[in-house]
Amino acid sequence: MMVNSFSQFESPVFLTIPLILLALILPWAFYPSRLHDDSSNRTLTLQNWFIGRFAKQLLASSTPKVHLWATLLVSLMLYIISLNLLGMLPYTFTPTTQLSMNMGLAVPLWLATVLVGFRNQPTLSLAHLLPEGTPTLLVPLLIIIETISLLIRPFALGVRLTANLTAGHLLIQLIATASLAFMWIMPAIATLTSILLLLLTLLEIAVAMIQAYVFVLLLSLYLQENS
Amino acid sequence: MAGHDHGSQHQFTGFAKYFNSYTIIGRRNYVLATYGSILALVLFFKLKPKKMPVTEK
Repeated sequence: MMVNSFSQFESPVFLTIPLILLALILPWAFYPSRLHDDSSNRTLTLQNWFIGRFAKQLLASSTPKVHLWATLLVSLMLYIISLNLLGMLPYTFTPTTQLSMNMGLAVPLWLATVLVGFRNQPTLSLAHLLPEGTPTLLVPLLIIIETISLLIRPFALGVRLTANLTAGHLLIQLIATASLAFMWIMPAIATLTSILLLLLTLLEIAVAMIQAYVFVLLLSLYLQENS
Repeated sequence: MAGHDHGSQHQFTGFAKYFNSYTIIGRRNYVLATYGSILALVLFFKLKPKKMPVTEK
């Protein structure tokens, strides 16, 4: 029973077993691995084409050092896009609506990019905290602002993903409820609301894919800054 | 390209040679100086002896 609009975001538990674990493992089942005899089929070919295309596009303008992160970034993108798209199915739980999960992805990865930068090129990493050509009087202020902007990045990454998905699911639920409520009272309004619901669902599918891409793209940009 | 040090440091003399917002080294030194000043301020206020209130007998 829906107690309030946010009930759909509660982490599901069944007989004290947190079902979010199942939701997190589920995308693994959708990506076939190599066949035992190294042959290929259409699904594998399509999958490999997509992964290769995405990796090339993401890392085209980056140094070879960044290419070492290709596996991590591509698998992260596939994982988040799978979780988001599976969440668009009715009555499924979307783990990426949980801030804890998104912060769990964002903070360690962002911290890794910062530490990689400070370890490999400490001078350049520190120099990045002051934009080139800053007037002398503004230097301390800008350094503080750039430091705050650096520290806020993981929160922005996590909250962006959470907020986009949560807002989308909430809107879908509200408009679907409205459409159902109007169905017997004002069928014409219900029809218009259903059309709006369809358009919104299409938008949310796009948002699900775009937000996964943006998450990974920003991480790769942060990495390029520090490499 | 932003941040190149090639031949630009000879333009700066004195203080500007080490602290400027054009070269990588200059920008790094500015950042370190700012962080050092903030740290010094924090340590100063933390370690400052607190005045004990005078109790009347």
